[in-house]
Amino acid sequence: MYKLNAVDKHFPGVHALKSVDFEIGRGEIVGLVGENGAGKSTLMKVIYGAYQPDDGSITIDGTTVRFQNPRQAMNHGIGMVFQEQSLITNLTVMENIFLGFEHQFVSMGVINWSKMAEAARQQLGKVKLDIDPATVTAKLSFAQRQLVELAKVLTLEERVDGDLVILLDEPTSVLAEDEVKLLFKLVRDLTKRASFIFVSHRMDEVLELSDRVYVMKDGAIVDVVTKATADIDAIQHKMVGRDVDKEYYREQKQKDYSDEVLVSFDNVSLGTRYKDISFDLHRGEVLCLVGVEGSGREAILRTIYGLDKPDAGTVSIKGQPVTKFHARAGVENGIGYVPRERKIEGIVAGMNVYENMTLSQMQNYSKNGVLRISDEKLLAQKWIDRLGIKTPNVYKDCGGLSGGNQQKVVLAKWRSAGSDIILLDHPTRGLDIGAKEDVYDMVREMSDDGVGIVLVADTLEEAIGLAHTIIVVKDGVAQRAFDGFRDGKPSLFDLVHQMI
Amino acid sequence: MDAIAKSIGLDFEKIKPHLPWATLLALIIIVGLADPNFLRPQNLIGMAADIVPLFIMAMGMTFAIYIGGIDLSAQSVANMTTVIATVSLATFGIGAALICILVGAVLGTVSGFVTTRLLVPSFVSTLAIGGVAFSIGQWLSGQRALYMDATLRDGAFGWMVGNTAGIPHELFIGVVLLSFAWFLMTRTTFGRSLKAIGAGELAAVASGLDVDRIKIIAFALSGIFAAIAGLLFAVKLSGGSPTIANGFLLPAIVAVLVGGTPLTGGVGGMINTAIGTLIVAVIRSSMLYFEIDATKQQMVFGIILIVAIAATIDRSKLRVVK
Repeated sequence: MYKLNAVDKHFPGVHALKSVDFEIGRGEIVGLVGENGAGKSTLMKVIYGAYQPDDGSITIDGTTVRFQNPRQAMNHGIGMVFQEQSLITNLTVMENIFLGFEHQFVSMGVINWSKMAEAARQQLGKVKLDIDPATVTAKLSFAQRQLVELAKVLTLEERVDGDLVILLDEPTSVLAEDEVKLLFKLVRDLTKRASFIFVSHRMDEVLELSDRVYVMKDGAIVDVVTKATADIDAIQHKMVGRDVDKEYYREQKQKDYSDEVLVSFDNVSLGTRYKDISFDLHRGEVLCLVGVEGSGREAILRTIYGLDKPDAGTVSIKGQPVTKFHARAGVENGIGYVPRERKIEGIVAGMNVYENMTLSQMQNYSKNGVLRISDEKLLAQKWIDRLGIKTPNVYKDCGGLSGGNQQKVVLAKWRSAGSDIILLDHPTRGLDIGAKEDVYDMVREMSDDGVGIVLVADTLEEAIGLAHTIIVVKDGVAQRAFDGFRDGKPSLFDLVHQMI
Repeated sequence: MDAIAKSIGLDFEKIKPHLPWATLLALIIIVGLADPNFLRPQNLIGMAADIVPLFIMAMGMTFAIYIGGIDLSAQSVANMTTVIATVSLATFGIGAALICILVGAVLGTVSGFVTTRLLVPSFVSTLAIGGVAFSIGQWLSGQRALYMDATLRDGAFGWMVGNTAGIPHELFIGVVLLSFAWFLMTRTTFGRSLKAIGAGELAAVASGLDVDRIKIIAFALSGIFAAIAGLLFAVKLSGGSPTIANGFLLPAIVAVLVGGTPLTGGVGGMINTAIGTLIVAVIRSSMLYFEIDATKQQMVFGIILIVAIAATIDRSKLRVVK
């Protein structure tokens, strides 16, 4: 019924979708799995009209369609139930359900609220949710909101002739087990009219609900399995398993780390985000926090950087307990932070190479507040040469550098300031393979120089390849620590089983 | 704008930095052709000297706009300062200048605190502080125009408005303040921090800059410059009143924006504002030449403001406009 034929999508420096063929039949439930960054969300955006494919075509019942925006896709019966709650919380349930389509209740310029409430009640009935449509959305539980989102998309049943395709992006992430069961029953009942595309981290759920599962990896569909033949281990292998050249992660260059402790967590807890976390980061060690999005790994990183004060436990930096937590604490403690949002938090676009490099250490390049610009330029040139940053000169706006070179500038900023604890938050996100290898080289070099590194990696392979130590975090609790260097590297499956 | 530039084969982003001075040059040529008297050195110098108080206010405004904020209190602070200068002249003599600067700094600092600590957007916080300044001026003056004693004025501040070798001293004041502000913006850690905040505040935070403190100083400087503008204005007119500088705010903002410092901040700077102020000056005197009534001038500046913002703003930084 609905088909993508050889769809390609490029972003600057990234080939996000590689000739993707995707098909969904009438009343079918199709699963979509893949690691972070595999291209799932790009694919979903193409399907519901937020992105337009660069190449390839989309057909519905054999007719080629092209959507300029999600609204046009909706008019063809394609609706999206968002993972991040898309409801506007200060509006009522019915206002949310009919947002953008209020005109059907307008007579003589005035909205007929009771008519809208009646229609909303009918939609809520479809998802078996018995609430007053005039309730303000903020008062609902997350599970109820999820159902309201589904009800909102189901208004397509009345608006559109023909069949529906409904995308569910991680719909179960906020639900308890019994709520998941209810949702699944609901989805199955709705297949009389609609087909579903179901995206989830939880492999068992995907297999339980879906008739077929598409497996994505690096922007391509690497496998399609049917429910009858599916096997969790096999899918996981396809998801993460390419035969990785050990050299790719510079494993030969990995050396043992010293005994000197740089960062120490002693039974540290913070609210619902993480509990009783303990570890030591040593000089020269690469410590990797592994877990799904929201597992607590980012929150731990923020605490190391001094942003969020824990409720309990002791955080020590080089033997000194940290007492002050505020925006500048990390820099004051000599910690360098390479943020996930490289273009927003990493570099300042609009400032040149040397201005970016000295941003965290201007006191070292100034006298009485007056900058020693010629020294700044020397420093920049030194690190341009050392890291092989590709830029015509030190005056180049960092916003105009490639992603890999921007990342090198960010690393040079911290290295040149003498930070010996560096936090890497998805340092290779959105980089091409060559740039990734450069980052891996730098990780090894820093490690050799005695820098302690805490890494939240983009993929599990990257984590295994780079880390000395891996700590798996799930729902804020450390499941297991692997001493990958001394006891041998854990396998992907060792990690995945602890994560989900 | 983009479409026009592309249709003639130019990359608008590349010509954008050159627009201000090209505009200035074009305006001077147009007005000069229409009115040959305009290009007489005497006229040009006089025009430049007349615009100095506005220029000083615009430089203060530049600090606020460069970090992506705005200072709507500048005109009220200048108004208030004319009154403070006039009433305190008799008692403090040249010390009156210090009082003016201090009050300007305090009000600017308060705006900065309200903006950064109470998270009130600067266009609201400075509007509110402007109300406070306006009231102080009204209260101190008894809502009347006040006049300075000529002897006292010449004794304390005569040097501000004198004339050396045919060049009015206001111009020297303008150049000295411009040099100071330019140095601060381009050669100091403070100026670099301003740039980082204007161009990428989140990265500035992640790099450990004390963003709040720097923002507060930026607003304090804006207050100080507005106060100096008011002081110079009071000396020039030999008196003060709580409404004397009305009509300054719009041209001051126009000067910053047509100079090439966009509302989103991060690019531009003091030299840009100098060019922008000259553009405002030329437009103003051409309006006199073309006999556009003073009551209509604000309308012209309003229209120019909208065009200037639309042309210079960095849309990639805006997600939602409210």
